[in-house]
Amino acid sequence: MKIIACYSNKGGVGKTASAVNLAYAYAQSGARTLLCDLDPQGASGFYFRVKPSKKLKEAKFFEDVERFTKAIRGSDYENLDILPANLTFRDFDIFLSRMKNSRSRLKKALQGVDGDYDVILLDCPPNLSALSEAVFKAADHIVVPVIPSTLTERTFAQLVTFFDEQGLKAKKLKPFFSMVQARKTLHGDTMARMRKSYKGRFMDTHLPFSTDVEKMGVHREPTMAFAGNRPAGKAYQALWQELEKRT
Amino acid sequence: MSNQLLSYPKALPLSDWSNMASGLSAQAGEDVEPSPFTVLDCFDQSIRQSGRLLIETEGALVLMEADGRLLRQPAARKGNFVADLADGPVKHHLSDMSPLRCLLDLGQGELVKDQLRLVDDEEKTHLRVDVLRFSKDNKTVSLMALTPVRGYDKAQKQVTKGLLTAGASVATPGQIQSVLFPDLVPYVAKPKLSFAPETTAVAAANQIIAAYLSVARQNEPGTIADFDTEFLHDYRVALRKIRSVLSLFKGVYGDAATAELKQRFSDLMAPTGALRDLDVYLLEQDYYFDMLPENLHEGLRLMFETFATDRKDALTTVTKRLKSVAYNREMAELQVMFETPGEIVQGPQGGLTVGDYAKRLIWKRYRKVCKTAAKIDDQTPDEEVHELRISCKKLRYLIEFFAPQFDGAEIKAILKPLKKLQDNLGLFNDYSVQQESLQALISSGRLKGQTALKAAQSIGALISILHGRQLEERARVVQSFAGFDSQGTRERFRTLFHEKGAQS
Repeated sequence: MKIIACYSNKGGVGKTASAVNLAYAYAQSGARTLLCDLDPQGASGFYFRVKPSKKLKEAKFFEDVERFTKAIRGSDYENLDILPANLTFRDFDIFLSRMKNSRSRLKKALQGVDGDYDVILLDCPPNLSALSEAVFKAADHIVVPVIPSTLTERTFAQLVTFFDEQGLKAKKLKPFFSMVQARKTLHGDTMARMRKSYKGRFMDTHLPFSTDVEKMGVHREPTMAFAGNRPAGKAYQALWQELEKRT
Repeated sequence: MSNQLLSYPKALPLSDWSNMASGLSAQAGEDVEPSPFTVLDCFDQSIRQSGRLLIETEGALVLMEADGRLLRQPAARKGNFVADLADGPVKHHLSDMSPLRCLLDLGQGELVKDQLRLVDDEEKTHLRVDVLRFSKDNKTVSLMALTPVRGYDKAQKQVTKGLLTAGASVATPGQIQSVLFPDLVPYVAKPKLSFAPETTAVAAANQIIAAYLSVARQNEPGTIADFDTEFLHDYRVALRKIRSVLSLFKGVYGDAATAELKQRFSDLMAPTGALRDLDVYLLEQDYYFDMLPENLHEGLRLMFETFATDRKDALTTVTKRLKSVAYNREMAELQVMFETPGEIVQGPQGGLTVGDYAKRLIWKRYRKVCKTAAKIDDQTPDEEVHELRISCKKLRYLIEFFAPQFDGAEIKAILKPLKKLQDNLGLFNDYSVQQESLQALISSGRLKGQTALKAAQSIGALISILHGRQLEERARVVQSFAGFDSQGTRERFRTLFHEKGAQS
């Protein structure tokens, strides 16, 4: 099982869209996939028409196993389940440690119903908090969308510095350029500069700026599901393929 | 949260579905045309026996689990063994099937498959329902397979309750076969026969032999069609069982009759030996290749090529024989003979009741096994080890023939250590037989020229490895018997088969 986090310390960069589409791509490839919506402002669950569950909060007195398994919702796509956004930090910490321990009761309960996961995707809130630190430790890979502009260039530099300072493995970071507008010279220049200074770290695939990503809110489906053959859909597919190769 | 399979003969309008689950509405799938389906299973119907159903329809293999869960994958495949299927969920879930058995077409029919979903106000699916109508001639089986979505159990509970109230019933995939293909009787390789206490030994022998004759006959078409090697194997096992009844059930038939019958069954079995030997070699190819280093593989390859050619000829011989008038007349004659009481001259023991007779035979055989084993130490010649093996085999056959007459748990407790001992003796024998037949292959002159030279090198290496393995097994025999010869086993044998007034 691998854990992949989608994270950005800046909001509005296409983080939730990449989490949703990557989760969809993994599930379509046959991997049993769980998408955890950790961002209270995020909309992973919304895009899959899953209403937030009240159970997790209400059911504190249940065993962890029951609380978590009951909170998970099946999406309308094969192999893809959602854990809706209402985990507290403590819940999330417990959840991840249970998922990583193959002998935990949660793991066994999931295996028992043929529902254990090959991939867990985390859609994280855009800040540097105790939660994000836990994510950085638990995740095997951290996918970071970066808009090629001066401001996000600085935020990404901050993230790398944070990793170095905290003794975290910067190798886990898998940044890619997001919402790229090919006609903007600024975007082109920034991408070239950043690829040079973070040699080999950025993914080759970049996501074009596209209304098909925004339209996810209208369709309430992943871009790949309703626009698989259009540039944005194809780019997510390529992003997944490259990620598979690199991880 | 689990899937559920229900049987419900009527088609329900969408509004009825919506009424069953509060707050949800039903959405129909696309209209579908009826399509033909084929039921696939092994000859022993092991898929059906395990409570599942495998069909091929519209280019897909569809496996229906006992709870109605449907798994599907493309039907394209290299052959008809489970191992030949493309990788996918159906193959994965069939991994418990015998690797030696192939899938056969057991029947055709027509299938109409409707799908519907129950969704909430945001069009999120809460429950999927596959409505499956299987039909053949004018018989129909209608099933509904409910697939819940994780976290939305409520919808399934409500719908299940609604359907059951409306007259639906819990169903099994096996209903397809039992309703649409009533002639499809599962094949049983080891018929379980139990006898009334007053049954005579001769009547019991007749029944056992008649049952195994029928098993042999059921395997004839599959052997001729060469679907898989298990047909011939089961055919031979059945005939061997009959021969062991004839030689082990002493005094049941008259001496002359016994001798004649032994000869006739021996004549039936003999022409199939060569084909079976080749089957065993070819099935164990990997085992032989694994034993030798790469540089000796060429010789092995040549050897197996020869075997493959020989097998074709051997199959032709067996097929011709099984189809021949003379063979079929002989089998029919024997069947009548054992199914008609009084046809065969009875021996002095034939009139004993089966329970007394069984006890006497088993006890005697058990004593013999112990006596033979007592003489064996690490220095005893191999012949005596072989004698012990044969004695154990006879004991096992006897116990199994009469098992239904005795307490099941006790028989199981006796057979377990016996099987363990037999495993050891069996391997000892296999290694010895393999060496002999490889040796015989070299001396037979069947391999010629360069082939012979290369193969001989490989065979020589094989023989020395097999010899080493045989010695290892030989070294375990004394200890194996000690494992069988426990206080508990001794007491069990005595209580079951020797004490006066014990159950019969």
